[in-house]
Amino acid sequence: METKEVHYKAYKPRPFTKEERPSTTILFGGLTWKHERLIQGSLERVGYKSQPLPNIERQDLDIGKEFIDVGACCPTTFTAGNLARTLTTLKEKEGEQTLKDRYIFVTIGSCGPCRFGQYHESYERVLEGLNLRDFRLFLLDLLRMEQSAPGGGLEISMPLTFGLVYSMFYGDLITDMEYAVRPYEVKEGQTDRVVEESIEVLYEALKKRPIKGKKLDSLLWHVFTDYFADALKEVRKLWDEVEVDRLRVKPRVKITGEFWLQTHEGDGNYNIKRWLEREGAEVIPPPVAVWMDYLINMELFKLEDAKGFVKKYYTKKFAIQTIAYLYRRVYDKLREALNNIPNPLPDQRKLKELARPYFHYRLAGGEGHMLIGKALYAYKNKQAHMICELSPYGCLPNTMSIGAMAKVLGDYPDLLYAPIEIKGDAEVHAYSRCQMILTEAKRRAREEFEEVLEKTGLTVEEIRDFEEKHPKIKRATYKVPHYGYAGTASNYVMHIAKLMGRG
Amino acid sequence: MGIPRFLNVWGTHQFWVGFFNALGVGKVVFSSETSEEQYRTYGKGRITMDSCFPVKALAGHIGELLYKDINLLFLPMIYSLPSFLKGHVMDTLSCTRVFMSVENIKAGFLREGNVFEERGIKMVSPFVPFAEAELLPKYLWTSLKEVIPGLTLEETGRAVKEGFKALESFEKRMREKSLEVVRWCAKNNRPAILVLARPYHMDPGIGHEIDGEFQVYGYPVLWYNYLPLDDWLLDWLFGKEIREGIIKSPFDISDVWTSSYSSNTNEIIWGAKFATRLPWITGVIRLSSYECGMDQPTFTPVQKIVEGSGTLFFKFGELDETKPAGSVKIRVETIVYYLEKYSEDIIEKKLRRLPPLPEKLFL
Repeated sequence: METKEVHYKAYKPRPFTKEERPSTTILFGGLTWKHERLIQGSLERVGYKSQPLPNIERQDLDIGKEFIDVGACCPTTFTAGNLARTLTTLKEKEGEQTLKDRYIFVTIGSCGPCRFGQYHESYERVLEGLNLRDFRLFLLDLLRMEQSAPGGGLEISMPLTFGLVYSMFYGDLITDMEYAVRPYEVKEGQTDRVVEESIEVLYEALKKRPIKGKKLDSLLWHVFTDYFADALKEVRKLWDEVEVDRLRVKPRVKITGEFWLQTHEGDGNYNIKRWLEREGAEVIPPPVAVWMDYLINMELFKLEDAKGFVKKYYTKKFAIQTIAYLYRRVYDKLREALNNIPNPLPDQRKLKELARPYFHYRLAGGEGHMLIGKALYAYKNKQAHMICELSPYGCLPNTMSIGAMAKVLGDYPDLLYAPIEIKGDAEVHAYSRCQMILTEAKRRAREEFEEVLEKTGLTVEEIRDFEEKHPKIKRATYKVPHYGYAGTASNYVMHIAKLMGRG
Repeated sequence: MGIPRFLNVWGTHQFWVGFFNALGVGKVVFSSETSEEQYRTYGKGRITMDSCFPVKALAGHIGELLYKDINLLFLPMIYSLPSFLKGHVMDTLSCTRVFMSVENIKAGFLREGNVFEERGIKMVSPFVPFAEAELLPKYLWTSLKEVIPGLTLEETGRAVKEGFKALESFEKRMREKSLEVVRWCAKNNRPAILVLARPYHMDPGIGHEIDGEFQVYGYPVLWYNYLPLDDWLLDWLFGKEIREGIIKSPFDISDVWTSSYSSNTNEIIWGAKFATRLPWITGVIRLSSYECGMDQPTFTPVQKIVEGSGTLFFKFGELDETKPAGSVKIRVETIVYYLEKYSEDIIEKKLRRLPPLPEKLFL
């Protein structure tokens, strides 16, 4: 038997130089088309050509399985398949050498214990499988403000990092608007058109944004400038034109779950958010910004535990608290530009405290304790009628917190919770499970609505009359306060009652 | 004090024995080894999600301990591990499912009432970061002071030191035993097998005693987590690459594995590298449980590392609750055939790639 020695080596991309930058396209993916388009704007402003990967399709699951090791979670399989499909198409269209020389793929790695930290291993299997080991794949660290890849062609500077943060915020805020408005739109399809227009306005704003400062001055400018909020005020005018009917009684369904799956909009999660809307629900989408807020606050919680063991404890605590405060302040300022229709970021300390009897906050991996905290937060604050938690098949941390939810449900049997395992190829099963809980959520939304009508003594006809006389309340950007009801229609009725002096 | 014999307790049990002895806890009782009977008798109805069997088996261990003569149940959430690779890798974390398993399985015993209280047992589940030396006593003390009246942080700190001493002493003995095996192989020019797995695959109910099947055929079996770490041996195996600047130390795995966060994974990868270099390891057996997400990204790299040197590689994957005795037997027979046929040749070729044999191998 031949026993020739061939030492295996980990994948190491060829350097990507500054000179190559103008002629090289950065491929990236993993978020919604909205976030990705905005990221494109941020990258273009600092001289990078970029191209998001195409939308995830069902075929990506099968393609991914052909290349990566057996037993992967469905986000890994879908995204690896998506990368394989993209590279294959580009190779066919532009030739192998052009693909290797003129394209790079950039992905994020972090997290550590969860498989998310090892996604790149699966992408490397794709490159091996396609015989493209020369193709360049770069891994960036999610938690570093400044970094560069070998060769210096890819430099993540402070202005770029802040551009990416604003892209994320914009994407989240428009997504929040979209899901808050579409179920109630009077003209079908108007919301989707306004979303597209909004994203293009914001893409241009990011592409043309001023580049101010390099380090601390860059940070201060990005925190205190009105530039980004002003762009959103322009966008608000588009949303002002959308008329909504908030008297449609709908259960509010909060989406939680594994990061990729909960954020995703497409075949990767059976398009479950759109499906829920078709089934009569209003969906509360999960912002990417919450996860970043969680990561910042986790640093604070860890530091607090280490009090007495770390040097300059108070200085460090002040620094992290300041970052956390500024992060939230910027997000709130942007929300305000949209009249606070998008949801605020939840208080991370509250999430931690709510989850504490069920899940230790230091058990970090994936979303850690946050999923339990979010479910309880939504339930206790009457934010939603139901929680739909999207759990990828094979996900390491997510299955664990779902199991721990058993005790939460024992303590709060009223909490409507639908953990949906997503394999990618069992759509009917997932819909069916979700439908069972949704039926009860619908009943509760209806009961709550009737209770408010009874309490206020209002009739639907009286509310319609009031709306005719006050058309501005039918605008999508009109803010209806929260009166302690989960449903939009119920809060709306209570608000009208207050305006009429009957609440 | 009852401690379930589960997951990373398999790699740290001696720490816990030393720790609780130092605290003066009367008696430490471990649950039995995992078995189908244990799982069905005591774990039934306690599982709240689908997972790998090593995690689900914890329900059986906890359930069994409820019927033992204990008044304290200790369920450590082991977040990071002591590892000989610390300082050479990015982190030494446990698998996410492993460190979250306690919160998960515990919920199955609490959702319809507090089963522990009903049995008159106090339960504690501290967060255990072995890699955070300063914080470890604090987290342990915060939990244990609730059930051990009068316990101080200083006492806990001293007990932690005793725990580490006990663990180090045990590991030293195990590594010496492994060196004995290596020396025996060298003196007799006989092949050995290396098992790459997770520490809890030593549990007969998890690893299904597959390693023992090879011993029946006369093959010594080494486990990756107790390999000898003597300087002279590692210099013989890795010295050339260090001098050529390929790796920084014998414990450097960055040449083959870049995301070195997981402790068990890092040690598996290091074990694979060791196997490719030690001439008498002619076959590597990989054990992996069904749905192991930590193993999944390592399948190809580990196989390629091992096979790159001409060493034989065999994987027993998707291990679950039931022992597939028939298929294991057939596969072992096949593997043994290959080992018998090729081992001599593999040893010879691997020896040719190394510097002269160190004298200390023949002491």
